[in-house]
Amino acid sequence: MIRTYKSTLSGDTWVQLKKNKAAMLGLIILILMIVIAVFTPWLTPYSYETQNLALGASPPSMAHWMGTDVLGRDLMTRIMYGSRVSLMVGFVATIVALCIGVLWGALAGYLGGRADMIMMRIVDILYALPFTIFIILLMVIFGRSMLLMFAAIGAVEWLTMARIVRAQVQSIKQQAFIEAARTIGLSDLEIIRRHVIPNTLGPVIIYTTLTIPNVILLESFLSFLGLGIQPPNSSWGLLISYGVETMEEYPWLLIFPGITLSLALFSLNFLGDGLRDAMDPRISKN
Amino acid sequence: MTLFLLKRILQAIPVILIVTTVTFFLVRAAPGGPFDTERTVSEEVLNNLQSFYKLDQPVHIQYQDYLKNLFQGDLGPSFRYPNRTVNEIIADGLPVTFELGLYAIIFAVILGVVAGIIASLRPNTLQDHLPMSLTMIGICLPSFLLGPLLVLAFGIQLEWLPVSGWGYSPGDKILPVVTLGSAYAAYIARLSRAGMLEVLGQDFILTARAKGLPQWRIVTVHALRGGLLPVVSFLGPATAGLLAGSFVVETIFQIPGLGRFYVQAAFNRDYTMILGTTILFAGLIITLNLLSDFVTAWLDPKQGFVKK
Repeated sequence: MIRTYKSTLSGDTWVQLKKNKAAMLGLIILILMIVIAVFTPWLTPYSYETQNLALGASPPSMAHWMGTDVLGRDLMTRIMYGSRVSLMVGFVATIVALCIGVLWGALAGYLGGRADMIMMRIVDILYALPFTIFIILLMVIFGRSMLLMFAAIGAVEWLTMARIVRAQVQSIKQQAFIEAARTIGLSDLEIIRRHVIPNTLGPVIIYTTLTIPNVILLESFLSFLGLGIQPPNSSWGLLISYGVETMEEYPWLLIFPGITLSLALFSLNFLGDGLRDAMDPRISKN
Repeated sequence: MTLFLLKRILQAIPVILIVTTVTFFLVRAAPGGPFDTERTVSEEVLNNLQSFYKLDQPVHIQYQDYLKNLFQGDLGPSFRYPNRTVNEIIADGLPVTFELGLYAIIFAVILGVVAGIIASLRPNTLQDHLPMSLTMIGICLPSFLLGPLLVLAFGIQLEWLPVSGWGYSPGDKILPVVTLGSAYAAYIARLSRAGMLEVLGQDFILTARAKGLPQWRIVTVHALRGGLLPVVSFLGPATAGLLAGSFVVETIFQIPGLGRFYVQAAFNRDYTMILGTTILFAGLIITLNLLSDFVTAWLDPKQGFVKK
């Protein structure tokens, strides 16, 4: 048997990515955050809603590493539970955006011609809409449910994904192996699923990594305005908005949730940039 | 050029119409009217209210009326403040928001372009890495976090600047503008760095250098025009984000602008106000996108709008 050296896309990317210190740091912080978020109930001795009014707001101490809030609740526990919500919104809404965007872009790019024109014109029109305002509108009219927020944010973020995938598909479509697949009688859908979509993965992964921080930011923004996650649930944005109310007397209530949110955004952005540089040398900086 | 202009303007009209229609019916589909909050009112009063706002008529008539009035620039009376029209409320808030946004954009463009150019002149040195690391901070510190932190530092601890208001005391515009503008300054710095790097690598710059032109002339006269193209195309979409940012900044700093009115209207279920502001915002964003498209086309030598 002949052994050939196979240079896989994922293997090469990993080697490149490992050289990028900022991206690796981002990846490590991110994994840590996810692990902590998943195992929160087992990691903290406190509950996120049990109040201790006698204690009130206390600065960071040995018992409460990040202090307690006005109602005497352990801030670190609240942040950890908030991470569960914020990260979940980030990932789920991004997956919604991913599914719609990839399908839409792949179909438009593959079909081409009139269908492509109509589909991309729809994307153009949606692009021009003031979406943040629409999300606020939806949350006001139909109540502030988390499910609606997933759908609303996902519905906004798929547009860029669709454009990226379409451009990618258009260039793949010209290549010979697609012609070959058609010759052996594969259906259009089958070709899209088995040959086109797998070949668009690179840019899709990069853009997905860069979408997650946007989504987390959007959720925090809504929660900050009081239009997102509702108490007793907590999220980073909600904790920050509480922190702002009392920042004069108890600045740690603003600072710790703020650091957590920024850290998550930093990690995701560095990881996204690193992936982009690692996967596609053409569009990397210099 | 005129054809391009005309085509883009024609494309914008259906978008506005879609926004209006979708918002109108969304608002009508909302469970619970604007009047069934707090106190219960008598049947008579309710009927009077209903007929005042024409809510007793069939929906398609209401829609027709609304469009007709909209065409004449009339957005109707506010649901929450019956003696005021939406036009009046907008007229109060828009200039403030406009001023805030304008200053923020100016701040962002000046800071961003200067930082971007400085970074692009010596790529991959400290002169490049330092400003680019700072942009990462700008991007990862959202306005609802940056604003309160600035207030905490400069308003409460150092007591250098007032922490709220707009034009009430000297210097109270500084913190809101910085809060709103920094994220955009960061994006603009990255875009102008990338744009400048690309242009500076081209042959005509080499020619200019060979002619012995000084560095500042090469940068300002030859490279800047092409290098800033990405920045200009970014400015259109950026204003959409700027509007959303104004919601937060106006809330934090208690600025009586349109963004704060909008958030309040959303909480109060002031439907006519929501409808009116949404249409206005959509119109603004579309207009600014158009504008940035035109300027991009005008700056881009490949499109050939400018006579040699």
